[in-house]
Amino acid sequence: MKNSIEQQRSPFAQYFKNIFDAITSTYKGMSITMGYVLTKKPTSIEYPEVREVLPKSARMRLYNDALNCIACNQCAMACPVDCIYITSYPRPKDLEVPKTSDGTPKRQVLVQYTIDTSLCCYCGLCTTVCPTECITHSQDYEFAQYTLGQFKYDYTSDDIIAWRDRILGQKEN
Amino acid sequence: MLDELCQEIKLKFPASQAVLHNPPENVGSPSIEIEAKSLREVALYLRDDCKYKFSVLQVISGVDYLEYFEVCYMLANFDLARSYEFILKVKVSDRVNPVLDSVADIWPAANWQERECFDMLGIEFKGHPDLRRILCPEDWQGFPLRKDYVAAKYYNGMQVYPDHKMNLEERSFIINSKSKQEELQKQSLAKGL
Amino acid sequence: MTHDKHEGKHDHDHDDHDKHDDHHHEEVAEVEDYPKDAKEESLKSELLTLNMGPQHPATHGVLRIEIKTDSEIVSEAKPYIGYLHRCMEKHTESLDYRGIIPFVDRLDYLAAMNMEVGYALTVEKMLGTEVPARATYIRTLVSELQRIASHLVAFGTYALDLGAFTPFLYAFDQREKILRFFEEISGARLLYNYVWIGGVWNDVTDTQLDFLRDFIEDFEKELDEYHTLVTSNSIFRDRTANVAVIDLKTCLAYGATGPVLRGAGHRWDLRKVQPYLNYNELEFDVPVGGDNPEVGGMVGDCLNRYYVRMREMRESLKIIKQLLLKFPSGPIMGKVSKIIKLPKGEIYMRTECPRGELGFHIVSQGGKEPYRIKVKSPCFTHVSILPVVGPGLMIADFVAAVGSIDIVLGEVDR
Repeated sequence: MKNSIEQQRSPFAQYFKNIFDAITSTYKGMSITMGYVLTKKPTSIEYPEVREVLPKSARMRLYNDALNCIACNQCAMACPVDCIYITSYPRPKDLEVPKTSDGTPKRQVLVQYTIDTSLCCYCGLCTTVCPTECITHSQDYEFAQYTLGQFKYDYTSDDIIAWRDRILGQKEN
Repeated sequence: MLDELCQEIKLKFPASQAVLHNPPENVGSPSIEIEAKSLREVALYLRDDCKYKFSVLQVISGVDYLEYFEVCYMLANFDLARSYEFILKVKVSDRVNPVLDSVADIWPAANWQERECFDMLGIEFKGHPDLRRILCPEDWQGFPLRKDYVAAKYYNGMQVYPDHKMNLEERSFIINSKSKQEELQKQSLAKGL
Repeated sequence: MTHDKHEGKHDHDHDDHDKHDDHHHEEVAEVEDYPKDAKEESLKSELLTLNMGPQHPATHGVLRIEIKTDSEIVSEAKPYIGYLHRCMEKHTESLDYRGIIPFVDRLDYLAAMNMEVGYALTVEKMLGTEVPARATYIRTLVSELQRIASHLVAFGTYALDLGAFTPFLYAFDQREKILRFFEEISGARLLYNYVWIGGVWNDVTDTQLDFLRDFIEDFEKELDEYHTLVTSNSIFRDRTANVAVIDLKTCLAYGATGPVLRGAGHRWDLRKVQPYLNYNELEFDVPVGGDNPEVGGMVGDCLNRYYVRMREMRESLKIIKQLLLKFPSGPIMGKVSKIIKLPKGEIYMRTECPRGELGFHIVSQGGKEPYRIKVKSPCFTHVSILPVVGPGLMIADFVAAVGSIDIVLGEVDR
């Protein structure tokens, strides 16, 4: 339809029509852009100074509360990329069996609970199978490292157990 | 509808030996299996002469069953009034040198799908205009989706997954000596684990 | 050039003479190169081979297209794919059915929810699981929202391909709100692992639904602005109208689906033709190319494919509005055993994704791992049309054609 009208018009009229079209469509576009400039607030944030408040459900770096872990190996089984490595030994018989915070007896002594964060795909499947809910996603999203080896966290080591208060505090808030 | 179609194919092409596979307990999709040698004539019949006119080949899926390959052609007609779809199956029993007739000139969609099937399972499509690997590099060895495929250790002289790049150290404590084991256990016990 | 070499050896006086000599030689050479009786054919140059990609911004990922050009006109286009091949189909053979969902996410990373819904529905159909009503509603809601988000990327990047930068920012601004909603309900922004076999992971709260209601109101106005900004722009129309026409016959022969097929004028939408989820309860139209004569262009050209996407966004909004009116309460997970084992057999099922029909062919031998999963990816078939569309187009129009097909390489290469 449009083509047939264009053919009827003389080239001279078409020339001015083109100019008119270009000006009007540019004007329309620029008026919307100016509307944005004047009325809308910026949606981006100045990152290092201003930090986004993540929703509670945000799935960031994994944290295993080793004190509540019963070494059942279910998370390692559920992991689709096999990035959880667990070593544990049966508890010596002469010792009393301690309990986790929800009352599950800890029959195994956890020696190593390593997560290779560089392999982790943040799918959250390990957190759903955990019977004592000791493995959770924390809200930490800044953990750049210099080497690949530094991405492996052994959650039984002292310095990571020390995160416990901070991360559990995050969850409550 | 598939019963009828299967009967028709059997009548028209006795050599095809069409068999209808209904899924057990109605779980899954029904399929019609035909002999490999009559694939092209059945395909032409399904596209042009059959009353359902399966004009669309959606995908070709090859499955390796160890003794034989099965190539599934998912056919459909995008007819708004009466849309049908079914799986046409062909068995390729030769595992060493699997060859099948190409249908790339019947359904142009088969061109790339057959290339992918060749790339992944090594089934050669006779009469294909341009049978090259499509997803893997052209100098790749072996066919990845075969069940007996062993991942290559070397590719063009380069080691695949070299140990020093795999972040392997301390992946899991493999402890052989009893004393070391007890020591670690003691450490853990002291932390209250 | 030869003149420079000799400069040191000659005096200034000789220099002028030399220059004159060079001129003379050049003239002679010209005459030798172009004989007077030259015909037009002998003046044709050989074809120039250009590599578009793999790191070309207009190829939307790592797609390489080998183009043979005769001056500015493409005479042959050969796509090379596989740069993002991650052996997804091989990986799934060693994973349980729940663990496959994160891999399915990574197929089409711009429409991960639709991928999950497609996979979960296929497995559920095989298992015979009943999904609670609320879970079905949430699934429809997230897949329509994801369709809008995905089309927004398609719209933004398409305008970017054609030289308009601003619409891209506006589109991503709105997409951000949808991603925020997804982050609230699932915990992730792009790869959700939210739709599970038997239901969905988390419940949606009322405050989150209110957020959506606000978003819909905003977005309807925004959509009008997009049409003023881009669709009615005469430069954009000139770049897209009557360019790279894919007619219905080609579409069917190559198995194209989604907006490419609908842009060619065929009202084929699985949501209408074979309703899954609860689409049969909802009212919406299926926009096709050519049913609005005001748009202009030819049926099946870039403009129509683009316009189908823009109108699908509005239809999706319509669906979301209807869903929000009658959101049922109840459980969000059906009864699924702890270890999922599919019965022996095979299934092929398709769902309508933003880019076309996504099909899963699952072969099970009765174990807890699938025997084979084959993904029918819509973009794979669409890329295979490019060699047919390409010849005869200008290079700049070829960019417009690739953009209008809207491919995601994660899904092409799997």
